[in-house]
Amino acid sequence: MSYGYHGRYLRIDASCGSAAWIPLAHTTLRQFIGGSGLGARLLLDEGDPTGDAVAPEAPLVFSFSPLVGSPLTTSAKFAVVSKSPLTDRINDSLAGSAFAIAGKRSGGDAIVIVGRAPELSVLIVDDGVVRMEPAEDLRGATCRATETTLSARLGPDFRIASIGPAGEHAVRYATISHDGRHAGRGGSGAVLGSKNIKAIAVRGTQRCEWADPAGLTAYSRDLSARSFGPATAKYRELGTAANLLTFNRLGALPTRNFQSGTFEGADAISPEYIRTTHARTRASCAACTIGCEHIYASGDAAGVRLEYESLFALGPLCGVGDADAVLRAAKLCDDLGVDTISAGGTIAFAMECVERGWLDEPWLTFGSGDALLRAIGMVAEREGIGHLLAEGSRRAAGAIGHGSIAFAPQVKGLEIPGYEPRALQTMALGFAVGTRGADHNRSGAYEVDFSDKVDRRHVTLDAVRHAIDTEDRAAVMDSLILCKFLRGVFDDFYAETATMLHLVTGWDVTAGELRDTARRIVGVKRQFNLLAGWTRDEDTLPDRFLTDPLSNDPAATLTREHLSSLVAEYHRQRGW
Amino acid sequence: MRVEFLGLPRERAGVAEIELQAETLGQLLRALAARFPSFSELVAADELRPSFVANLNGDRFVSDPRTQLVDSDCVLILSADAGG
Repeated sequence: MSYGYHGRYLRIDASCGSAAWIPLAHTTLRQFIGGSGLGARLLLDEGDPTGDAVAPEAPLVFSFSPLVGSPLTTSAKFAVVSKSPLTDRINDSLAGSAFAIAGKRSGGDAIVIVGRAPELSVLIVDDGVVRMEPAEDLRGATCRATETTLSARLGPDFRIASIGPAGEHAVRYATISHDGRHAGRGGSGAVLGSKNIKAIAVRGTQRCEWADPAGLTAYSRDLSARSFGPATAKYRELGTAANLLTFNRLGALPTRNFQSGTFEGADAISPEYIRTTHARTRASCAACTIGCEHIYASGDAAGVRLEYESLFALGPLCGVGDADAVLRAAKLCDDLGVDTISAGGTIAFAMECVERGWLDEPWLTFGSGDALLRAIGMVAEREGIGHLLAEGSRRAAGAIGHGSIAFAPQVKGLEIPGYEPRALQTMALGFAVGTRGADHNRSGAYEVDFSDKVDRRHVTLDAVRHAIDTEDRAAVMDSLILCKFLRGVFDDFYAETATMLHLVTGWDVTAGELRDTARRIVGVKRQFNLLAGWTRDEDTLPDRFLTDPLSNDPAATLTREHLSSLVAEYHRQRGW
Repeated sequence: MRVEFLGLPRERAGVAEIELQAETLGQLLRALAARFPSFSELVAADELRPSFVANLNGDRFVSDPRTQLVDSDCVLILSADAGG
C-alpha cells in the first residue's frame, strides 16, 4: 500500500490522444516528493534538455504531491514544469486551488503531455480516461471565458486549466490559468499552446489514503489554528500589495525600469489608498485558511486580484501612478494569459528604449496607463511592436541593439520581480543564481535582507548560507506542496514538514532527510540547466545593477566583482 | 524621534507616524504597546514578535531591544515577511 501517492503518472501523447500509465518508483517519490521536485525529475527523464521548448516532443509536466487532497491548509497546489521558451532553462511554476485536487483524483501523481494535437483541442482526463475534443470555438477566448464555457459544457466536477490568446500566439511569457490563479512565470502557456491545447479539464474519484488519518487530522487542525495568527495577518488584512509602501520607504521599489528605487506616485496606488476608492473582497484557494487574495472592483463583476508583483510591474516599473490603469492592466494580463512581471518588465524596458530614441513608438512612454494597456493587448496578439515585446526583454534587447541589453531587466531571460537588487543584495544573489532566472519564489533571500543578519546594501559572504537556506526551504515547500505564506507559522520548518510527510506517507522521514532532499531538488534543476547549456556567466545581473548607483540611494552599490564573489561562494557552498 | 509604521503595524497603530522619546528600541516598543493597544499584539515584552521587524533610518534592520536610539533617529516598524 502506498500512502499519499498513486505510484504512477499519466503520459499523454497529444498527437494521437493516446495515454499510458507509467509506474513511479518508491525511491523517486521519496527523493523528490512531488510538485516542483517530482516535476523536475520527470522532465529530466522524459525530455531532451537541448531540445526546443516548444517542439512537439518537449514534455509539459503537471505535478501533484502527497499533501494534495489532505486537510493540511494551503496544500491544494500543483506545479507545471517544462523547459522555458523564455529562458531555455528549466521552468517550474506553481498555481493553486481545485485543479490540484481534481488532477490528483484523476488517478496519477503527475500528468506528462508530449506531442502536438492536430487541431486546437481540449484535453480531458476523466478519472484516468483520456480524450480530446475540438476547441476551435474557444480560439481567442480569454482564460476566464474558456473556463466558464468548459465548466458549463463538461459539468461542475471538472476543473479547468487554460491558456488565453497569449498562449495561442506563443508569447514567451504566456501563463496557464486556473480559477483566476496562474502558473505565471517562464511561459508554460506557450508550451501548452505549442501542443495545440487550449485547456486541460480534469476530474476524478481516485483518492489516496493516508498513513495516519487521525494524526493527520489532528495536526491539520493545529496548523490551521496557527495559520490564523500574526504570522499571516499581513496577507489576510492587506495582501501582498502591502509591500508597495514599505519597499518605497526603503528605496527598494523598482521604478521606471529599475532607474530608481522610489516612486513619487506610490501612495495613490497603494492598497491603503485603493481600498478607500474601490470595493474590496477577499478570497482564498481551495483548502486554504489564510485568504491572501484581495480582489478590487474594477469595471465588471469579477473584480481584479491585485498582488504586489502585478502592482509593482504594471505601476512603478512602468511609471504608472493611476490605480484604475494598474487594475485594468492586471485584469487584462490575467484574461489574456500573460505573466504580469515579464509583461511589465518588457514594456518598461521598451519605454526606456523609446525615451532614448532607440524604438520608434512615441506613444509608448513611461507613466501612460493607456500606453501600458495598449502594449499588453499588442503583446498577447503579437501585433505591431507586440510581436517583438512578446519575445521578452532579453530578445527584444538583442533586436534593438544600442547596448540596451545593459538595462534589460532580466536574469537568464526571466524578468526581475519587484525587489531592487542594489538595495536588497542578498536577493540580488538569489536572482543571479536562480535556476529559472530572476525569481522571488524559488529564492526567499529577501527575508535575509529584511533582517539584522546582513547589511542589505553591503552584504558580505556571510549572506550566502542564508540565501541557500531560503532556496532549500522553498524547494521543500514547492515539492510537498505548501504555500510559502505559511512559512512564518513554523517554529522548526524541517521537523514539522517531516512530521506532515510522515503522517501522510508513513515514511520515517527526518528533518535531516528533508534537508538532503532540498539540496537534491535544487541540484536536479541545475542538472537540467547544465545539460541545456547553462554556463557560469549566466549567474549574474544586467550591467545597470553593477555599474549604475541607485539614483535615490547612492550608497546602495553592487559591483560586478562583489556579485561575482558572492556567486562563487554560492557555488562553493553548494558543492558545484 | 520619529516612528513610522508600515503595512500591518500601521493598521494596528492607526497612524502612519508619531514622535516619541526613547533611549533604546526595547523602551520604544514598550511605549508604543502602551500607547496603541492594538499594536501591543505585535510586541512580546520589549521585542517585536517574529513576523515583525524594526529598521533604523531606512538603513539597517535591528532586533536587539538594547539598541541605542538618539533623538534624530527614525524607526520604521514593518512586517518581516516581504513575500510578494
